[in-house]
Amino acid sequence: MMSPQIALHDPVFRAYLFVVPISLAIGGAVLAFLRWGLKKEIESIWRTYRSWLIMAPIGLLVVFAGRIPTIAGVTLLAIFAFKEFARASGLYRDWWMTGAVYTGIVTVGIASLMRHPRGEESGTGWYGFFTAVPVFAIALILFVPVLRNRARGELQRMSLAIVGFVYIGWMFGHLGFLANAINAYGFLCYIIFATELSDVAAFTFGTMFGRHPLRSEISPKKTWEGALGAIVVSMILPWLLRFSFPFFGVRQLLLTGLIVGIGGQLGDLSISVIKRDIGTKDMGLTIPGHGGILDRIDSLIFVAPMFMHMAGYYYPLR
Amino acid sequence: MKRWRYDSANDLDRTLVERLRRFPREPDMLVYGLRSVGALIIRAWLRAYHRFEIIGHENLRTNRSLVIVANHCSHLDTLCLLAALPLRKLHCAFPAAASDYFFKSIPRLWIAAVVVNALPFARQIHVRQSLSLCEQLLANPGTILIIFPEGTRSTTGETQEFKCGIGALVAARDIGVVPCFIDGSFCAWPKGRRLPRPKKVRLIVGTDRNYRSRNADKIDICAIATELREAVSELSQRNASY
Repeated sequence: MMSPQIALHDPVFRAYLFVVPISLAIGGAVLAFLRWGLKKEIESIWRTYRSWLIMAPIGLLVVFAGRIPTIAGVTLLAIFAFKEFARASGLYRDWWMTGAVYTGIVTVGIASLMRHPRGEESGTGWYGFFTAVPVFAIALILFVPVLRNRARGELQRMSLAIVGFVYIGWMFGHLGFLANAINAYGFLCYIIFATELSDVAAFTFGTMFGRHPLRSEISPKKTWEGALGAIVVSMILPWLLRFSFPFFGVRQLLLTGLIVGIGGQLGDLSISVIKRDIGTKDMGLTIPGHGGILDRIDSLIFVAPMFMHMAGYYYPLR
Repeated sequence: MKRWRYDSANDLDRTLVERLRRFPREPDMLVYGLRSVGALIIRAWLRAYHRFEIIGHENLRTNRSLVIVANHCSHLDTLCLLAALPLRKLHCAFPAAASDYFFKSIPRLWIAAVVVNALPFARQIHVRQSLSLCEQLLANPGTILIIFPEGTRSTTGETQEFKCGIGALVAARDIGVVPCFIDGSFCAWPKGRRLPRPKKVRLIVGTDRNYRSRNADKIDICAIATELREAVSELSQRNASY
């Protein structure tokens, strides 16, 4: 249901073609005011903002290009995000295990691309297989030490591989499966836009009012004020961007706000737990001002699957 | 419960470009894959475009650490020598490349680090540091170093004098040294030309030698450099008979 022609005539996608640049312009104006109006030192935020100026068009372009590019893009993002996780945790030194997880991630992508082989599911995407991929991927991961006849230190490697696959490959992979939805443009554009905006809101509110640390042992910079600010923004956003899912009732809009507000922070914090235990600040230095790819997509890890199942519970997804 | 020990990658806090510039580089599946595919393409191109042939291939035994020395008048030289190696050896074969030329601009760095797997060799200052880096690499079994002891591409096609550093690297060590001569690369792609011409290129591999019985003093290392140069010139004369 996604292709460049459909995208051009889709009112939701066309609306986001305005919403995203306008938001970026507002953000830029605020930063410019801070920089030149109030003479504040905001070099690091500028860097973050400049990266957004590149990432946002790429994201829109991939969604514009259609279903297959979207799923392929999500799969590639998952592979590179997992690679960062593997390099930070030391799992990357074991290429067999890394390869097993890569295979799992690609399988998630293929399950999103396929149709049900006997046509029992409507539309594209093989949902039954998609939800069952972890069984096969974890079996493959457990099979690696057996195949290589090794035991020492394998529990750690298997655990890291399973966590990496389930978090980054499968849960994040739900974003790709959403490309099969009837309302794919609305769902995809909304949850990516809203999740990243709630990230920005958490940062902004945290910087302005932050006093009480949210989870001092996990991420010393995150504050209750920031988290509440993000939830407030996420609760308002579904109403502002209601055109993304015109068929949603009040209950669904509320749930959407909660999922983005709480799920986004949960994803962020859960990756922070991993980073904190490993003892690294960022997962990589791929995106200037943001850290690694994983640092950018971590908020979507919970939002994508929870939103998909919420929407799928109330309405036929495909 | 005991704490897990995470063996993070050493270049975790570097950007992508810094990671390529750093040496030794962390093994990377994507880089290994690209390098292997690149090698296949380069081999096909050398065979088709330059009618590349290898004489004395059986002299190149790669089961132990090895230094390959050759004359240098073109970028093709490195590619020819790499094309003579088995594919699985590519990732432990390090052509020494001038760090002031190959490791500055990003496109060159990309080719040097990803496609060629080059070792940044500081040829003006810190030569000794670069040599000790080579020594460390050779301590790992199965390492192949590709060194052009002339230090730069010859602008006339004639083999220049060999620098003594090559002698310092192999003297008093049990490391095989394979002299090679590359013919035709000067005509095909001389220094200063943008693109290569479709001329025949031939690689002649000499028999390997060993300098473990030699001293590492100044006189001997210069003598080794001279001997190696003679070995390469001898191959060039043999080439005339093909």
